This record gives sequence, structure tokens and C-alpha cells, in this order.
Amino acid sequence: MKINEFTREEVFNNLVTSPAGLDSDEAKRRLAEFGPNAIRRTHRRPLALRFLEQFTHFLALLLWLAAGLAFLSEYLNPAEGMLTLGLAIIGVIVINAVFTFVQEYRAEKALEALKRMLPFRVTALRNNSELQIPAEEVVPGDVIRLSEGDKVPADIRLIEASGLRVNNSALTGESEPVGRRTDPVPGDPINSTNIAFAGTAVVSGSGTGVAYATGMRSEFGRIAQLTGSVSPGLSPLQKEIARVTRVVAAIAVVMGVVFFAGGHFTGRPFWQNFLFAVGIIVANVPEGLLPTVTLALAMGSQRMAKRNALIRTLTAVETLGSVTVICTDKTGTLTQNRMAVAKLWVDEELVEPSAPVGSETHRLLFTAAGLCNNARFVDGEYRGDPTETALLRASREALGGLDAKRFYEVPFDAERKMMSTMNALQHGTVVLAKGALERVLPLCTSIMDNGRSEPLSAERRDDITHAYHVLMDMGLRVLAFACRPVTGDAAADAAAEDIEHNLVFLGLMGLQDPPRPEVPAAIAKCRQAGVRIVMITGDATRTAVAIARQIGLATERPVAIDGQTFSLLNDRELKQKLGERELLFTRMTPKHKLRVVSMLKQQGEVVAVTGDGVNDAPALKRADIGIAMGLSGTDVAKEAADMVLLDDNFATIVNAMEEGRTVYENIKKFITYIFASNIPEIVPYLAYIIFRIPLPLTIMQILAVDLGTDMLPALALGSERPTPGVMQQPPRKPTDRLITLGLMARAYLFLGPIEALACMFGFFWVLRGGGWDWGRDISSLDPLYLQATTACLTAIIVTQIANVFACRSLRESIFTIGITNNRLVFLGISVEILLQLFIVYHPVGNAIFSTAPLPAGTWLVLAPFAVLLLAAEETRKYLLRRTSPA
Amino acid sequence: MYRKILTAVNEHVNSEVAARYAKHLARITGARLLICSVREPGQPERSFDLAREAAKRIQHRARELDIEAETIFTGGRPLPAISAVVRSEGVDLAVVATRRKDVRRQFNARSLRSRSVLLRLPCAVALVHVVHLGRTHPSEILVPLKEHIKDIPSRAFFTAMTAKAFGAKVHLFHVMRPLRTFFQGEVHLRPLEEEGKLAPDLSRFINHLDGYHVEHERHLAPGVAGKSITIEAASRRRDLIIMGASERGIIDFLLRGNPMEYVLRETPCNLIILKTRD
Repeated sequence: MKINEFTREEVFNNLVTSPAGLDSDEAKRRLAEFGPNAIRRTHRRPLALRFLEQFTHFLALLLWLAAGLAFLSEYLNPAEGMLTLGLAIIGVIVINAVFTFVQEYRAEKALEALKRMLPFRVTALRNNSELQIPAEEVVPGDVIRLSEGDKVPADIRLIEASGLRVNNSALTGESEPVGRRTDPVPGDPINSTNIAFAGTAVVSGSGTGVAYATGMRSEFGRIAQLTGSVSPGLSPLQKEIARVTRVVAAIAVVMGVVFFAGGHFTGRPFWQNFLFAVGIIVANVPEGLLPTVTLALAMGSQRMAKRNALIRTLTAVETLGSVTVICTDKTGTLTQNRMAVAKLWVDEELVEPSAPVGSETHRLLFTAAGLCNNARFVDGEYRGDPTETALLRASREALGGLDAKRFYEVPFDAERKMMSTMNALQHGTVVLAKGALERVLPLCTSIMDNGRSEPLSAERRDDITHAYHVLMDMGLRVLAFACRPVTGDAAADAAAEDIEHNLVFLGLMGLQDPPRPEVPAAIAKCRQAGVRIVMITGDATRTAVAIARQIGLATERPVAIDGQTFSLLNDRELKQKLGERELLFTRMTPKHKLRVVSMLKQQGEVVAVTGDGVNDAPALKRADIGIAMGLSGTDVAKEAADMVLLDDNFATIVNAMEEGRTVYENIKKFITYIFASNIPEIVPYLAYIIFRIPLPLTIMQILAVDLGTDMLPALALGSERPTPGVMQQPPRKPTDRLITLGLMARAYLFLGPIEALACMFGFFWVLRGGGWDWGRDISSLDPLYLQATTACLTAIIVTQIANVFACRSLRESIFTIGITNNRLVFLGISVEILLQLFIVYHPVGNAIFSTAPLPAGTWLVLAPFAVLLLAAEETRKYLLRRTSPA
Repeated sequence: MYRKILTAVNEHVNSEVAARYAKHLARITGARLLICSVREPGQPERSFDLAREAAKRIQHRARELDIEAETIFTGGRPLPAISAVVRSEGVDLAVVATRRKDVRRQFNARSLRSRSVLLRLPCAVALVHVVHLGRTHPSEILVPLKEHIKDIPSRAFFTAMTAKAFGAKVHLFHVMRPLRTFFQGEVHLRPLEEEGKLAPDLSRFINHLDGYHVEHERHLAPGVAGKSITIEAASRRRDLIIMGASERGIIDFLLRGNPMEYVLRETPCNLIILKTRD
């Protein structure tokens, strides 16, 4: 037995309390045992420790190692500027750590939003007297008084209620206030009508109840706990970067060891070999990769913001591109949330709502729609729940404003799925009822046909059910209406069962929530992109299926699972169902979403889920991409989400996915670009050790490329526009790699060697031109040597300029995609050239990077290598297009 | 298997709630229920009165259920006093409530009353951590199981009897350490592959449970044990968690923490930690 199933006496016995409340000593004892009634953070490692963790992940450790080696080299060979290198690497580690930490810290704000939803003070009964106590001091067993406008401080089992209605929207997302009762109710407490939940608000009436769960043990606390505990895990991009880091580390270390051993066997001194190994490792580590990826994601998020998708966690930008399943709400996201009455079934006919009101039945139908309704028409505006305002509008348009005294109301609640009112009409008092057909029809004993009340035969019931199905198949949300003339006194405190009986069936109204016009195209785009869409709605199955057909979500025979069936499915059965191509979840509540998302993730899917209520927060956090509604969403949902839709529109998700896929493509482009420059950084070291020549490129010069000149052009590649086919290919598989053999071969075996050729040519061109002969030692301070290394560096810059254009596409010719349509590329190249001019010609640049000014002729000698690289790349692309058409 | 079940009651409501679990276990196993209350030196009269009233209430309700119940009032320091009763009466199982102040401190690392009870009482001990007064009659019980389970018959018996006493369904939950490789990182296992990795002890536990005809379901999840257990309990609204009282060595504890510690602090529902004496 659960708390909702107990009688009043059992409630007191079970909670060891009494109608007089707890005494203050017992309350103190319970406060000490159960803790304050507050939302708190789940136990986590201290903030400082989590910040420190940002310095100990694999890439950070790799960079620490590189910095340590640089400092060691500085100690062994002070003139090489290794100290600056070491400090620069540490700078990269710190910037990345701070950035990642800030992102993680921001994600925790969802809990702060939850905390704001609990009240500050409440009225409790202690020692049989009413006291105002801080909400934090409420303990299990406290007797709490509730009245209109109060926020409920804890989960409370009601023992007295007078017209008590609460708004559970903070918890369930349902905006309609629901009535509360006190009698025992079987089933799960969450669906029980005799419980008021923490964080919800009393809309009307008053009541008294006993608190049985406080703080983190309340339903609200459960959501807070899940919101604070569940983590989406690493994003696909983070996983890939981690993997790339390990691959690069392995390559760097293996190369370092191999060449250390090579140097040893060719008779070089130990420390020279050691420095050489350090150089190889530092040249291999892509120091600029993380900052460039981060900036590219930031730029992607800006582009998405322009398309109404506000990104809250940067990695979400790329994760969007790899989404394989979108779990989406219907109302407001796929549809416009603008309810309107679209069809009526009255006097056994389907009619338009604008048709003239002919019969008494027709008139009573609109009367019931207008009076059994809590929406209001105030100052020329309809206010209230979208369904109710639609009914009120239809009624006003048909009959004009209605004014009839209401004696009584049996409020709507999700379990009963109906409401009733008792009103004084011209010809007497009448009970008016509306609700789901399966609730209203069993309460009817007759039907009104052209103003005459006739017995409701089985045949007529079949006709009504048939009409109900017809309307639902049109994608309409269908409500049934009934009435009953009241004979005798109108009992003001009548219970539902006292007035909801012997009803006369009036007819049906079908309400339409039109699909958003952009949605069918967006869904078609998702289909082309291989992304499955799972609709999760509170609507009935037939309505949901019909809407799904209208918007192109269902083309075959979709599998629809309603909330009740869903609860009965075990994990294995649910996993099987989740594999269906066209899947709808109907009559669902937000609480079911977390399970759907978790199961999909367990099946290896990359899941995006939409949500707006507090109860959606755990699912939003659990999903790879949590998407909150900007217009209708609660603060808690927005704080828990990775992305906020500023227009609540499904099409915006698809646009954001397109951007996400583009970002991933672009990251591949600039990784190729960055990796290509590793070869001209490594080859000079190889030549230095193997051929015993002066070192053609210093480590500081390598750093000038990795963290300086390469950065902006790489970023420019990160802002390339979507290619036409980006949404016509399936989502990236989890097994697809950011760095593939093809990418490595292109960067390391094709583009890189051309650049290496250029830089070695530049180095020897200057040395030979200055009179250097093969085998002769040259001082590292000799102006000729400084000029030669500068030429080597300049050759890398010149060929990297051509490489930017080469990397703008994998297959298409630069002349096809357009040379000038990415202006950022030109900005990046301009900055790159300016930086290089500073390094080559400014005394400060010369001092930092051990460079010397070059004559203009040297630049001209190097320029043909840029042309060579572009021409070679165009030839490769041409051959690729010929041999492997897209 | 249980002939005598002892439950310790004091002035705190959680001890009375813990006693309800003992009462129902006694009912289903036909054991005699000993309701023990210890008056500590210097304990105020009012405080002991509350304990006495609680003991009477439990005895009264036990008799309503036809359980043979007896109250024992004794004096001294609680642990030695209860130990003495356990020895003299030949108690098989002691059901004792934890205190919040114990849980807030490092349960594993310090010498606390609750831990002492687990370790020193000469019988099986069910340490009950009461956090939710609305779920004292569980219908969904979460039973986290490790790869290697000690005292499988005793644990299965306790789990089965608790489930039977309340007509509850048992959800066996095994948290698997995620499979990682150096280059691939975390490797995702398909459900069938997960099933293939099911430890033999789990199968043995399930066989024992089947012997008692208790409805049960199995769940597997990759992740960190403590956190995964609390998430599972919170997300699926479980009413009770029954865990084994396995302890980790100090080095293991410092390196990996203790899932039991985490669950004790963060459990969203009542928790029973069972220490068997096989």
C-alpha cells in the first residue's frame, strides 16, 4: 500500500503524527533526521577538484609532457628559446581548462532554477496551533495548510480539501489546473488526486495535508536529483578528439623513440638525440587543434543563433550533426499550438463550425462549449488554455457572448479526462459536460437529435464512436459534449458522480492544431538525412497518427504505443519497439521521456529530445542534445538543455542539424590543413639528424605556425558554408572517424611532402646563395643561418596559403565551389601574411623567433611551390571525381 | 531461516519505520519479533517514553498481524546492550535504523555506531536508512548486485522474503564497468553482448530467487556503480533498495570510493544494507 491508498487514520498512523500536527521537539528531531526541506546538489567532487581535472585529461597530460620536455631542453640548451615554448604550451593548457570548466559550470544552473520554485514560508500546524514556518523546516509528518496562491512546500497527502485545485504544470507540463480530493485512490502516487506535490501552486480553494516527503525525497527533489546526476557523457566530437589525441600521441612518441634510436646508432651524442626526440614530439603534437576546434564550434553556434537556435553547450554544435533520432513533442513544435474548432458532429451530421446554427442540439452544443469552459474573453482577447480558448471562440462566433450563472464545477483532471459545470440557463438549471468520448459516453443515457431527446441505443453508440474515429482520422483532437436538465435544487457541493449521470449526448467537436508550414519539408529533409523522428504526444493514437500522416512523419503503418502500454513494456520489449522506423508515443506524459531517451542511447543512438516542462529536465540532460522551447519552456528546461529554440519550431532543429553536420565537415577540413603543416615541421628535423645539416627550423618557428599563422586560416575553413549534399547522407556512424586513413594520407603523404619540399628548398636556396657549403658548421647566431631558417618558415607559410584553398573541399575543384565566396579565408590569409611579415621584418619578431629579414626575391622563389601544391591538389581531385563519382 | 528477528527502537521515527520492515519479515517467515529499546545513561525521561510508546505501537500492530512479538527494555550503551540481547536470545536477524548524522560522515572510514552495528552484532544485520515515509510499503524493490556476491543464499532469502512480505517485484540491477580501449575509448556493447558478460554469481542469485517464486526482472547498465544505482532508483521510482554490506579496503576506497557510501547519501528511497553472518 502506498500513501495515496491510505485512509485518513492510516495516514496519521503511518507518518506517526496526528491531526494536531507534530510537537516542536519532534519536529526538531525529524529535521535532524530527514534534513532541511530544500533542493540541494547531489554529492559531487569539490569544484576545485573538478577544475584540477581539466589539467589531467589525456591531451592535457600530453601537453604537460611537451612543456616539461621543452623546459628540460631549455635547461640543457638555453639558446633555443625552449622556455617560451614551454610557457606557450602551458598557456594552451590553461585556456582549454578554463573554457571547458566554464562550460561544465554553466550546465549546473538548472538546479538553481529548480530551487527558486519552492516557497519561502508555509503555514504548518504545530502543537495544535497554526504557525508560519520557513519552508526549509517542513518535515515528514507536518500538517500543512494550503490556500489559494500558495506554493506547495513538500509532497503532501491531503486530508481536507475544499474546492482545492492545483496547477501541476511545473511538474507534469499540463497547464490545466486539476482538482484535488482526499479519499484514498489506488495506483501510483504520481497520478493520485489526493496528493499535492512540492513546487506546484494552489490555484483555488483550500486544503490541509500531511507532508510525507520533503526536499530531495519529494517528486520535485527526484527531478532535481536526476537533473543533477544524469550526464550525457562525452559528445561524439569529444570522443573523437580524445581518440585523435591518443593516435597523435602514439605517432609522436613512436617517431621520437625511433629517431632517438636512429641518432644513437649513427653515433650522435645522447643529449643531441634527446633534444631531437623532443623536437619531433613537439612538432607532432597539434597544439593549435583544441583552440581551433573550440573557436570553430563557437562560430558555428553564432550561425545557429542567427537561425533561431541558441546553443548553450559548445560541443552540442557538432553533436547536432551526428544526431540519429529526434524525439519531439507535437503540440507547439510540429504544430502551431493554435487550436481551432475545425469540425462538428451534431444531429448525426458532420458540419463546419461556421455553418448556421439550425437546431436546438446545435445551439446547446455551442452553449456547452462556451459555458463548460474556464477560458475568458477579456479586453478583446481570449485568455486561457489553447483548447478552451478555441472552444470559447467557436461558441462566441456561433452564439455571441454567453452569460449564465455557474453554480458548480467538477474540474477537469487528467485521470477523469472530463469536466462539468452546473449553469443557470434561460429555461432552467443545466449540467453541461465535456471531455474524452470514452469518459462522457458511458455517462449518457440519451442523445439529442434535432432538439428531441431520444434513448441512446447500442446502434447510436456505434454511430457516435464511428464519427469520433472519423474526426480523429482527420488529425483532430475530439471532445464530446453532453448536458442534463436539473430538476430540484442545485446542490452547491455535489460530488462529480452526483451530477455526471443520465446525461444527454449533444455531439462532438474536432479541434485542429494546424501543423507548422515548414515542418513537412523539415521532416522530408530528416528522412533524406537518415534521421528518425519519434513523436511523443499526449494526444490519442488516431489523432497522433493522422497528424503524423499530414506532416509526412508517417508514410507506412506507424507503430503507435500509448502511455499505458508503454508502462507495461519491459526494457527488452521497449528496445525492440524503439527499432521501428515510424514510431509514435501517444497519451504520454513527460515522465516517460527519460526512459525513452535512455533506452535509445543504450542502443547506440545519438538522441535529441525536445521539452518544455520541469519534468522534462532529466530527459533533456540525459539526451545527447536536449532542446528546450524558448517561447513556452520553463527556466528549468532551458537551463537543462543544450540548445534553446527561440521560435519553438521543429524546422529550426533541422536547420541546426545542417549547421552541425557542416561544422563536422569543416573540422575535417581544417584538421587536414593543420596536419599538412606537421610534415614540413618534421622533415627539417629528420634532415638535421640524418644528413647532419644545420637545423632548418627551430621549435619556436614551429610554434609560430601551430599557434600563430595557422590559426585564422583554419578558423576560416571552419566557417565554410554547407555543401549541397550535407543533408542527403546518413548520420555519421559512431564508428566513423574524424581522422581517417584517407585524411592522414592526404595531409601526411600528399600535401605535407610538397610543403616540406618547399621549406627545404627555401632553406638551402638561402644558405647556398650566402656561400655555405655542404658539411660546414654554421653558428645558430650567424645572420645567414637566421635568414635560411626564416626562408624555411616562410616556405611553410606560402604553401599553407595555397593549402587553405586546397582544403576547402575534398573532391570539388576550387573553381567550382568559388574562390571568393568565403571572405573569412581572405581575412585569415591577410592576417597570416601580416604575422609572417612581423616575424620576418620586425626586430621584436626577429628576436622572439630567431629570424632575419628576407629579400623580396626569396618570396618570389617560394611562390611557385604554392602554385605546385594547388595544381597537384586540383589534379588529385579531378582523378578522384573521375574514379569515384559521388 | 529466521526464527527470531530483533528490531531496535528509540525515540526517532525512523527506528519505528525500520521496525515495520522487521514486523513484515517476521510475519512472512513466522519468526518471533523482539522489539528492543535501550535506555542510554543520561537519556531524558521524555525521550525514553517516546521509545517506549513506539515499541508498544509496534507490538500492538504485530499482534494484529498474528506475529509473536515481545518488547525488551534494557539499559546501557546501545551496542553492547543489543549485542547481549542478540546473544542471550539467539537472534538470527537484527533490523536497525541508521541515523542521518552517521550517513553524513564518512561511513566507511570512521568508527560510527551504524558501522559498528554492522560489524559487531553477532547475527545478520539489516541496517535500514529511512528517507521516505511515503514509501514504507514497497512494491518495487531495487537489488543492486556486484559481479562477485558473498553469501548468495542468505541474501537471496532476505530479498525474497522482503519482496514476499510486501508483494513487491524485485529489480535486479547490475552495473557493468564500461569497456574501454586505448584508442577507441568507451566501447558500446549491444544488449546481447551485455548479456554475455553476465557474471556467474548473478545467475546463481537469480536461481535462488526463482526457488522462492518471487517476481523479478533484470537490468544491466554501464557506468559508475553508486551513481547508476541512485539514478536507476530515482528514474524508475523504486520504493526500496536492498544492498549487500560489502566494504572496500582503504586503498580501494581511496582510489575508487565506495558505492555504498554514495547510495547511503543520495538514495531517493529507503535503503536496507544487509550484512549476513554465514
